[in-house]
Amino acid sequence: MTFPNILAGIFEGFGVTATVTFYGMLYAVPFAFGAGILQHFTRGWARLAVTAVIEFWRSSPVIITLFVMYYTLPSFGLTLSGMTVGAMALGLNIGGYGSQAVRAALQSLDKGQVEAGLALGLRRWEVLGLVELPQAFTAMLPSFVNQFIQLVKGTALVSLITLTDMTFRAKELSQLSYDPVGTYTGLLVAYFIVCYPATILGRMLERRVSTPARGLHDL
Amino acid sequence: MTFDVDFALSTLPFILKGLFTTLWVTVASALGASILGFVFEVLRRTSRVMGLLMRFVIDAIRSTPVLVQLYFLYFVLPFWGVVLPALVVGVIGLSVYYSGYLAEVFKAGIDAIPRGQTEAAKAIGLTRLDVIAFVIAPQMLRNIAAPMGNYFVSILKATPYLAVIAVPEMLGSALDIGSRTFRYAEPMLVVGAIFLVLAVAIGQGVRWLELRLLASAKR
Repeated sequence: MTFPNILAGIFEGFGVTATVTFYGMLYAVPFAFGAGILQHFTRGWARLAVTAVIEFWRSSPVIITLFVMYYTLPSFGLTLSGMTVGAMALGLNIGGYGSQAVRAALQSLDKGQVEAGLALGLRRWEVLGLVELPQAFTAMLPSFVNQFIQLVKGTALVSLITLTDMTFRAKELSQLSYDPVGTYTGLLVAYFIVCYPATILGRMLERRVSTPARGLHDL
Repeated sequence: MTFDVDFALSTLPFILKGLFTTLWVTVASALGASILGFVFEVLRRTSRVMGLLMRFVIDAIRSTPVLVQLYFLYFVLPFWGVVLPALVVGVIGLSVYYSGYLAEVFKAGIDAIPRGQTEAAKAIGLTRLDVIAFVIAPQMLRNIAAPMGNYFVSILKATPYLAVIAVPEMLGSALDIGSRTFRYAEPMLVVGAIFLVLAVAIGQGVRWLELRLLASAKR
């Protein structure tokens, strides 16, 4: 097998990788905004409860939640497909991290913004939707792009629960061709092709929102 | 099959034996990743060409999944005549993957130091290595203790990836029990619970350290 053949074979799994990423986003984005906004607004016990849910998904290694959901949930009578398990485990993990970006961005806004909105007669949720979130969004963006990359890379895990994504295809190809050097190099290249543009985008966005360095240290 | 609590408890001692490997791998990888990441970051600042090259290396590491990097090292190194124990391959893999992230953390830490520090150090005749070791590194470490600690927690949470290359850490031990008894539900949940406790405990430790450092910086 030539290297282009190997790459083509690996990209046959791109559909599954993209699908898991897409479904993962369907869990991650609502969870990030919902949990982040709730954590921003609640106080006392309610806040503790929200924080506990977020910390659960952030603190558990995603490979472990994936396996627990895949292997343990059926014995409690809940059998989910590999695709659902993959999307949920990855999505909620990434969403947990995303919620912290949402909360931090909301908290970094000047208090006067909310006060001015309320003084103008807007309701609290209107202030959130029309004043706070639009301004906070630019601050969340770099973090979101980085979390998106984490999600795409994380999908490699679903190869362990029998979904035929790019990583699974590469393992098959390596057994067929007896060429681990070619196939695993190809697999690294494949993920690089998918994620590198996002990495560059993340850097550009980061540069836009970060404060300039105090000086270049030429070492 | 229903969940058997007694069986779950009976797997605990065997899985806890894997805990030692998990912790050992975490410490070794954290050390390896810090050293490699710092070398990347220092090299990035030596010249313009090195700057571009190192940025590409760091971005390439960050654009590919750790699972794929581990497969690559595990299956490809032997073909090149480098035969290492799986444990060593795992530590190298985690070190390389997280060096890409830690290099970015070091970058932010160094950028926050006023430029006059390096200039003054050079002016009084310190060598390049002296500047790095006695002027830059100590100040940088205080700036970044918190994000560094967070990445160390990430490394702990990434250790179960080593199960895929047959390292007997906790997840590996659980999979072992599963393949012997055909019961995966119980050992998986046990591993999940242990990781949750570990990650939350260490995460709280990092937060405590962060608060203390902030307090001492204010003084």
